[in-house]
Amino acid sequence: MAITDDVLVIGGGLAGATAALAAAETAPDARVRLVTAKQSTLRHASGLIDVLGYAPGSEGQEQGQGQKQKPIVDPFAELDTLPTGHPYERVGGEAVRDALEFFDDIAGDAYAGGHTDKNALVPTHGGTVKPTARYPAATADGLASDDRDALLVGFETLPDFEAPLAAAHIESAGAPFDARGVTLSFPGIVRDDAKVTRYAHLLDRDERVQSPGGSVNGEIGAREALAAAVESHLEGEPRVGFPAILGDDRPAAVRESLADALGVDVFEIPMGPPSLPGLRLEDLLYAELEDAGVRVTSGVPVVDYEAADGRIDHVVVDRNGAEIPHEAAQYVLATGGLVGKGIESGRERVSEPLFDCHVPHASDRYNWFVDDVFGEQPYARFGLAPDRELRPLDSTDDPEFRNLRAAGAVLGGYDYAAEKSGAGVSLATGYVAGTRAGEESV
Amino acid sequence: MAHDTTVLVLGGGSTGCGIARDLAIRGVDVTLVERGNLTGGTTGRMHGLLHSGGRYAVSDQASATECIEENEILRNIASHCVEETGGLFVQRPEDSDEYFREKLAGCRDCGIPATVLSGREAREIEPYLAEDVARAIQVPDGAVDPFRLCVANALDAERHGARVETHAEVIDLLREGDDIYGVEVRHDSGPGKRTHATPGTTEEITAEYVVNATGAWAGRIGAMADLDIAVRPSKGVMTIMNVRQVDTVINRCRPKGDADIIVPHETTAILGTTDEEVDDPDDYPEEQWEVDQMIDTLAELVPIIEDARTIRSFWGVRPLYEPPGTGTQDPTDITRDFFLLDHDERDGVGGMSSIVGGKFTTYRAMAEEIADHVCAKLGVDARCVTAEEPLPGSEDIAVLEEGMDSFGLRSPIARRSKQRLGSRAPDVLETNENEANPVICQCEGVTRAEIQDAVEQSGSDLNAVRIRTRASMGNCQGGFCCQNMANELHPRYDEQTVRDALDELFQERWKGQRHALWGEQLSQAMLNYALHATTMNRDNDPANAPAQVDYAQFDGGA
Amino acid sequence: MSEAEQPIDDGVPSDQSSDDADDEFEPVQVFPESEEMDLRPGADNCYKCSTCDTNCPVAEVDDEFPGPKFQGPEQWRLKRQDDHDIDESVMKCSNCMRCDSSCPSDVPLSQMHNTARGEYVEENMSKFSREYIRNRMLANYRRLAPLASMFPRTANFVMGLSVTKWLGEKTLGVTSERDFPEFATETFREWWTKRGGAHVESEDKRIAYFHGCYSNYNTPEVAKALVRVYEHFGYEIMVPDQSCSGTPMFANGMLDDARRAAETNVRELAAAIEDGADIIASCSSCSMSIRQEYPELFDFEDTDTVAEHTWDAVEYLRVHEDLEAELEGTSVGDEFDDFAYHAPCHSRNQGLDGQTIEVMDAIDGIEAHDVGDSCSGISGTYGWKEENYETSMKIGEDMFEHMAAAEAETGLTECPTCSMQMEHGTGYEIRHTLEVLEAALVGSSAQSAPATEPN
Repeated sequence: MAITDDVLVIGGGLAGATAALAAAETAPDARVRLVTAKQSTLRHASGLIDVLGYAPGSEGQEQGQGQKQKPIVDPFAELDTLPTGHPYERVGGEAVRDALEFFDDIAGDAYAGGHTDKNALVPTHGGTVKPTARYPAATADGLASDDRDALLVGFETLPDFEAPLAAAHIESAGAPFDARGVTLSFPGIVRDDAKVTRYAHLLDRDERVQSPGGSVNGEIGAREALAAAVESHLEGEPRVGFPAILGDDRPAAVRESLADALGVDVFEIPMGPPSLPGLRLEDLLYAELEDAGVRVTSGVPVVDYEAADGRIDHVVVDRNGAEIPHEAAQYVLATGGLVGKGIESGRERVSEPLFDCHVPHASDRYNWFVDDVFGEQPYARFGLAPDRELRPLDSTDDPEFRNLRAAGAVLGGYDYAAEKSGAGVSLATGYVAGTRAGEESV
Repeated sequence: MAHDTTVLVLGGGSTGCGIARDLAIRGVDVTLVERGNLTGGTTGRMHGLLHSGGRYAVSDQASATECIEENEILRNIASHCVEETGGLFVQRPEDSDEYFREKLAGCRDCGIPATVLSGREAREIEPYLAEDVARAIQVPDGAVDPFRLCVANALDAERHGARVETHAEVIDLLREGDDIYGVEVRHDSGPGKRTHATPGTTEEITAEYVVNATGAWAGRIGAMADLDIAVRPSKGVMTIMNVRQVDTVINRCRPKGDADIIVPHETTAILGTTDEEVDDPDDYPEEQWEVDQMIDTLAELVPIIEDARTIRSFWGVRPLYEPPGTGTQDPTDITRDFFLLDHDERDGVGGMSSIVGGKFTTYRAMAEEIADHVCAKLGVDARCVTAEEPLPGSEDIAVLEEGMDSFGLRSPIARRSKQRLGSRAPDVLETNENEANPVICQCEGVTRAEIQDAVEQSGSDLNAVRIRTRASMGNCQGGFCCQNMANELHPRYDEQTVRDALDELFQERWKGQRHALWGEQLSQAMLNYALHATTMNRDNDPANAPAQVDYAQFDGGA
Repeated sequence: MSEAEQPIDDGVPSDQSSDDADDEFEPVQVFPESEEMDLRPGADNCYKCSTCDTNCPVAEVDDEFPGPKFQGPEQWRLKRQDDHDIDESVMKCSNCMRCDSSCPSDVPLSQMHNTARGEYVEENMSKFSREYIRNRMLANYRRLAPLASMFPRTANFVMGLSVTKWLGEKTLGVTSERDFPEFATETFREWWTKRGGAHVESEDKRIAYFHGCYSNYNTPEVAKALVRVYEHFGYEIMVPDQSCSGTPMFANGMLDDARRAAETNVRELAAAIEDGADIIASCSSCSMSIRQEYPELFDFEDTDTVAEHTWDAVEYLRVHEDLEAELEGTSVGDEFDDFAYHAPCHSRNQGLDGQTIEVMDAIDGIEAHDVGDSCSGISGTYGWKEENYETSMKIGEDMFEHMAAAEAETGLTECPTCSMQMEHGTGYEIRHTLEVLEAALVGSSAQSAPATEPN
C-alpha cells in the first residue's frame, strides 16, 4: 500500500524546503512530505540569498570577459521589467516580496539585509564583490558597501582563499576602504588536507590545541589560539574577515569569542563548495521542516510515477531496489537544474528525467553554448517552462499534469549565475508552488 | 658582423626543443623562440603515443624501424615522461585476417617485438575490451607526455647555456640579399619569463644560422622571406576521457581509418583521430561529427566508452609535407617521414634550413640529423650525445622508484607527483617542515610545491604551469583549481597580473570543454559557471571597471 | 618457440573455438574479483562538490583522515592498473557510508571505500600484525559469539574483568573503555527451536527472517519481538540458516571472509525466496549490507534477487500492511515512556531515517524525539579499536548532547552498535523499535525483560 500524504515535494534544496514549508503553513491540516534523493546543492552555494544582481541578458549573445554591467541597487524595483518566461515574471513581483518575507521569518537572526530593499555588496573569496539581497549574520560586518577598513585573514592550508590577494582585489574593485591580508597557519590543524568541517569543529567545540608559537604554555582553546595568532597582525582595523569556516553548529558563539578576544568585529567571507554557510542554511531549513511537522524521507530517489486523467496518481521511490509507492494529491518538483540533476543531458537531448517534462533546447548541441565562457550561455537557461501557476508546460504549452508544479533550478528561462538570482528564484517559486499545492490539497 | 646567437631555432615544439638541446650540449650557442607556450603547436596537441612502430609496420617500414629504435632510446633518456603501457592491435570479427597477418609479419620484419594473443588473453589484460574482439598483437607501444618531454629538453638546453624565449612570435625573417641572418620577434610581455599584463616589445635577434622548426607553420615563416614551403597541414581530433578505461594502448588492426586508437594518458584516455587537410593551421573548423565519430567508432573496441564521460576534445595539425610533384590525394597516405629543406641548396637562399614532416616519436633522431647538418655548416665538430644523456628528471629514476619517501603526501598523490617530476622530485617536493604543502589541484594531485616550481620556471603564464604540472587538466577542468593556481602567483605577481592570468587559463579550459558539453561534463560546466559567476562574480567583476559601482548607494549594513 | 619454428598463421590462437568451448563448460565470470575491481569509471560522476566530505563524521574530528572525496573518486582516478599502494588512511574510514548517501551525483563511494580497503589489507597490511589479527577477530565476531554463548555467564564474567579488558587493550588494541556486550543465556535460535518454530502458517504471507548475529546472541528479545509482531499480522516466519551479514568484515577490509559469509547468505535466502518469502532484517546494517553492499561487491547467481527482496522490518509492514492504521489508538502502558531516537547511518542510507518517528507518532502516550542527524561514532567495530576510541567519542558528542537535551530517559534505535554507543555515552537503557511495536500491537503478555538483562 502506498505511503500517503496530501502534498509531496520532490527535492530537498532551497526551493523544495521552501515549498514544503509554504504548503504546511497554507494548509496546517495537510500532511506534507519532502522526499530528497541524496543531498541538495545548498552546500555548493555560498549561503547568500541573491534576488537580482544584474539585468538578464539575451540568450546566445557573445560578450567579452570582465565587466559587463552595473550591479542593480534595488532588485525589487526591477522585477517587473523582466522578460516573459522568466520565473520572476511568471510568479509576479509581489510573490517575490512575499517569499522574501517568508524567508526572513524562517531565518530570524541568522540572516540580515531585510531592513532595506537595496542590494548589499559582499566580498567574495575571489576578491570581487557581488550584489545580494540577504546575507548570513556572519557576513554582516563584512559588507563592501561599509567603509570601515578591514584585515582579511587566510590560512596556508586553505588554498582557495589567498587573503592578501583578495584584499588587493577588493581595492581594485574600488571598495571604499583599505583592505589588507595576512596568511597564517591555523592552530590545531595537523594535516594540509584537513576538511573545512574540521576547522569548524575545532572552533565549535573549542578543542584544546597547541598554543601558537609553540610556547611552553601548552594547550589552549582553539578560539583563543586563533585570536592570538591574528592579534599581532592587526593594525587598527575595526573588522577582521575570515574564510567561512567559523563554526558549523555554533557560528555565533565562535564569532563572538573571536570578536571579544580581538576587540574588533569579525566576519566571514562566503566560500565556494563545500560551503559552511550553505550547510548552516540547510540545517536551519531542516529544523524548520521538523517544527512544521513536514515528514522528510531522504537518501532515496523517486524513480517512476503513475498518472491518470492528466494527474499524477502516485510516484515510486526506490529504496535500495525495493519500490515504494508514495501517493499525494499535489506534487511539487524541485529537483534542481543541471548540477542537482533535475535536468539531465546526453549527446542528443536535454531532459527532465523523472516525469520527462518538456525542456526547451536547441537540437544541435553545439548551440547549447557560446564561445566566451562568461557569455550568455544557453545551457545555463535549460529547464522547464511553466505557466503562471508554475505547472510545467508540454511542447504545446499545456500543463504536463494538473497536480504537478515545479520550483527552483529545475525551471528554465533564467541564468541565475549571470543574474545572481538563484536563491531568490528558488524562494519565490518554492513559495508559490508550495502555497498553491497546499491550497489545492485540501 | 657579430650575431646575437650562433643558431636561432624557431618553434618550441618537440623538434625545436630537441634541436636546441642537441646543439647546446654540443657547445653551440643557441636561442629558441616560440610564439606561445612550449608545445603550443602540434606537440601539445597529439595523443601521446610513443610508437612501437607497429602502426607503420605494413605501410612504411622505414618509419616503423626508426620508431622502435627511438622508442627504446626514449625509455632510457626520458623515463619520467614515458609510461611503458604496452600496446595491442586488436582485431574485430569484421576486420581482415589478411591484414592481421601482414601486420604481424611487418612487425617482425622491422624488429618490433610482437606476440599474438587470443581475444580472451587480450581481455585479461584489458577487461573492458569488447567481448567479440577476436585476437590481438601485443607490441611495445607506450604513452609519453609531450609537455613534460618538451619542457625537459628546453630545460636541459637552458642548462647548457641556451636562451629560450616563449611568447615571442616571429613577425619577420631578416634577409639581406640571399642571406637570412635572423628574425624580428614580438614579445608578448617582454623578454624572459612571461609576466601577464606587461606591455610587449619587439626585438631583432640575429644569428649565424636559422632553423625553421615551426612544423605546420613553416610555410608561413618561409613566406616572410619569399620562400615557398608547401606544408600540407592536416587536422586530427582527439577526445579526452575522464578516466582510463584502458591501461594499454589499443589500436584497431585494420589498414587505415579514423578513430582507431585509444592511448592511456596520465589519468585519462585519449581517443584519436581523424586526418583531414586544412588550409590554415590556425583556423579550421572543429566539428561535432568528429567527436561523435571518435566515441561511436572506438566504442566498438571498448564499449563502456559509449556512455563514459569525456572532459574535452582538441585538434592538432600535422605538419605533413611531400616533395613538390608527389601529388598524394588522401592526407592519410602522405608519408610521415621528415624532410630537411636546406634553402641554400633548394632556393639559393643561405642561412636557414626548414624541417617539415616527421613525427613525435622520432623527434630526437630528427633533431640529431638537423644538428649534424647545422654543425657541418658551422664547422662545429662535436658528436651527438642525446641518445645516451638522460633528460632532466630522468637521471636517476631507479633510485626514486625504490625510495619510500612520500614527502608527507598521501600515497597516490606522492606517486603521481614523483612520476611527473622524476628525479627532480626531492628537490621540488621536500618542503620545510613548517611550510604547508596543500594540494592545489585535487583531480590530478598537484601540490603547492610543484606549482611553485613551475611558476619559477615559466612566470605568470598559468597555461605554462598547467602543462608542466597537469593542474586543471582533470575532471573539473579547472573549475575548482584555476583560482587556487592563480592564488599561487601572489605575491610574486601583482593583483592585476594574477587576474589576467586566471582569466586566460579559465577561458582556455572552457575552449576544449565546449566539445564535451553533455552529461556529466555539462553539469560540471554549470557548476563551474555557478562557482565563478554566482559565488565569485567573476563575470561582472567591478575591478575591471571600478568607476561603475557607486558603493554608497548599496546596503551598508543595518 | 622461435619464429622460424612457428609459422605466423599457426601462432595465432584460434580463439573462436576455445571461447565457445569455455562458454559452455566454464562458469562465466561477469565481473573481476572484487579485490581487482576497477572502479575508475565511477569517478566519472564526481563534480568535486565535496558534499561527501562535509558529511564525513571522521574527517570532522580527525584530520589524519582526508575525507571520502579523496578516498573515493580522487584516489581511484589517480590509480593505474598496476598500482597497489592504497593510502593507509583508508583504514580510518568507519564505514558509516554517509558519504554514499549524500553524494548528489551517484559516485559509488561505499563500493570504492570497501574495495580500496580490501586491497589495502590484502596488499599492504602484514597478516601477522597486531592490527590485522585484532581486526580479523573483530570482523569475525560471529565466530567467537557461539563459544561465548555456550557459557554466557562465564563469558560475561570474563569479558567484564578489568584484567581481561586491560589485556585486550595491551595485546590486541581493543579499547578497555567499553564494556563487552553481554551474551544471552538462550540464543534466539535456541528459543525458536524450543518454541517449535512458526506458529502461523500462510501460503501468501511469508517472510524469512535475517536476524543477524547480535539479535541472536545478545538481544534475542528484539528477534522475539519481530516474530510476535509479524505473526500478529498473519505472516508465516521462516528462520533460514545464515552467516554474518558481512558488515564488520567490509569495514575491516576482510573481503574474503565477507565473500564466504555472503555466499552462504545468498544461497540460503535465495532458497527462501524460492519458497515464496521476502527477506526481513531487524538490524539496519544487515539490511544495508544485503541490499547494497552485496550487489556492489559480489556476483553470486542470486545476489541481485536477494537484494531486491530484502526489507527492513518496519518498512515492510508500512508498505505491505497499514501499519499506522493498526497502531492508531494503541498504547504501550507503563512499559515505555518517551524515547530519544537515533537514526543509524545505515538506516539513513536506506532512506529510513524518518520512519521510526512517523510510526511512533501513531501510538498513544509516547513520543520519540529525534536526536539529530549526527553519527553515533561507533560504526560497528570502528569504535572498539583502541586508536579510534577517542575519535569515536568525539563523533558521538553531538548525539550524546541531543539525547541529554531530549525529554526522554530511554534511547531507541535499530542498530546494535549504535545502541552500545548510546548506552556507553549516556547510561540510558536502549531499546529497539520492534520492541515498542510489540508492546503496542501484541501487548505486555509477550513482554520481554530489558535488553541488558538476559532472559
